[in-house]
Amino acid sequence: MTETSRPVRPRPLLHPHFVGAGAALLIAALVTDLLYWRSLLSAWETFSIWLLTGGLILALLAGIALLFDVLTGRVRQIRWLHFGVLGAAVLISILNAFIHSRDGYTAVVWQGLLLSTIAAILLLVIGWHGWSVAEARPFQSAPSEGIRT
Amino acid sequence: MNRISLRSSAALAGLLALAACGQDPAPPSTQYGSNPQLPAPHQYVMPPMSVPKAVGWGKGETPVVPAGLQVRALATGFMHPRLVYALPNNDLLVVESNGPNAPVNRPKDYVMGMYQNVGGSGAPGGNRITLLRDVNGDGQPDLRTTFIDHLNSPFGVVLVGNDLYVAATDALLRFPYVTGETRINARPTRVTDLPAGAINHHWTKSLTASPDGSKLYVGVGSNSNITENGIDVEDGRAAIWEIDRATGFKRVFASGLRNPTGLGFEPQSKILWAVANERDEIGPNLVPDYATSVRPGAFYGWPYSYYGQHVDIRVRPQRPDLVAKAIPPDYALSSHVAPLGMTFSRGISLPQYGNGLFVAEHGSWDRNPVNGYKVVYVPFQNGRPSGPPQDVVTGFLNARGQAKGRPTGVAIDRTGALLVADDAGNTVWRVTPVAAAPTRTAAR
Repeated sequence: MTETSRPVRPRPLLHPHFVGAGAALLIAALVTDLLYWRSLLSAWETFSIWLLTGGLILALLAGIALLFDVLTGRVRQIRWLHFGVLGAAVLISILNAFIHSRDGYTAVVWQGLLLSTIAAILLLVIGWHGWSVAEARPFQSAPSEGIRT
Repeated sequence: MNRISLRSSAALAGLLALAACGQDPAPPSTQYGSNPQLPAPHQYVMPPMSVPKAVGWGKGETPVVPAGLQVRALATGFMHPRLVYALPNNDLLVVESNGPNAPVNRPKDYVMGMYQNVGGSGAPGGNRITLLRDVNGDGQPDLRTTFIDHLNSPFGVVLVGNDLYVAATDALLRFPYVTGETRINARPTRVTDLPAGAINHHWTKSLTASPDGSKLYVGVGSNSNITENGIDVEDGRAAIWEIDRATGFKRVFASGLRNPTGLGFEPQSKILWAVANERDEIGPNLVPDYATSVRPGAFYGWPYSYYGQHVDIRVRPQRPDLVAKAIPPDYALSSHVAPLGMTFSRGISLPQYGNGLFVAEHGSWDRNPVNGYKVVYVPFQNGRPSGPPQDVVTGFLNARGQAKGRPTGVAIDRTGALLVADDAGNTVWRVTPVAAAPTRTAAR
């Protein structure tokens, strides 16, 4: 626990932008998986692995941005449930990227498709509540409670 | 570390409760010959991999040969030599080549490219053919010239009469050849285009001629491991083409051979044989690479099945009609050995290898422990294999499991010596009987 009474000028959180963009790519991978499953055109499978890769790179950037948000005092409180669910979606997507790196049909059907579906559901549930995993500091910069570390 | 390991990544996947279990590596001897043991295929999160790091040969180091034989470096300092070919006057042609830069189609291609480059697979090829001549008959070349330069990833070479054919990755070329010349400057005739294109996954085009010289045979590898680049880029691939020399008429002679990297006619039966590299990533014991006689019109399974009717579930849409027609190859060499060259042993001065087939096994990546990394001899009787493969040239790996070299091409020269091209070691080796050694003291 650290306490500070120094007034902090509120600034917007950075990480939700990355969370939202990454989630969009990971959800899109479910769509291209479904297209591959129905069409058997390998181009859709290739789309899926690039979308997963892009989504995971953005997830990494989102993590860095969240750390930045915390360290620069923009965060009042981490929403641990959101953080945990998004983290689970990322871990599932990492596994899914390995599955999607197989060659041919089994790169998608059924394990890849199942993991894409689970990740997409988790992301959409969180996304319904916004892409932030933290509460920003309120705009009135009165002396405020510190960051829970 | 002597070997790069990707196990840490696999451990990450394992944390997620889908660990990369699967087949245990079986002894290669269970997969020799006409009836190899074929376990159930496994779909991996991370397939087992091990690529020995290419370190090159130290001064005076050579591969190992059985007692009674000796091996010496015929010449060194090549740029990725893949194949060696003896002309009738015993001039030797060394094809120095590597594949064109493959595009990164998936993140995996980038990772695998880096990984396999550790094993020397990405070294630049010379894209040329070098001529070696032994003028004074001491078994060592005295003359070395660039015979043909500026080729597009050449591989197969065959001389028929005065026509020298070179199989570049995108075309079969014909050069005029005059006995004794040391450089060809003439522009080649383009006999036929060969499948290449942007992906060109298996780029080598193997080549041989029928015993009467009337037909040419070109081995064309698949454009993928198992159609992951789409079936439409596989047109004319995973096949052996037959080209009529007189008319240029061409047809697919046999199909379903994933990557037929070596071709030759069995001297007794005068039947075409091929060595081929089978598919990866369904286990350390699947699928065995093979040597086989090649029947006209036959289908050997790729991509839909292997060893007859063993269906590969990674290929969709499936083709039960083709699977029903697929025939098994004659002789399994065991899994992932990567046979990149072959030659029948007729004409060799080593009597214990008088009737059989030499196969250069470049060595595995998709398996741990590794397999191959040696030259083996398959004995023949009456035109058919008659026993398990025997190790002939070994010692390409050092005690730390690093690759000093990797054998790619084999040939018999006109004195009866066995020649071995070594692409990772940039050397051509010559194996002779100890008794027939040159009188010059071996100072190596």
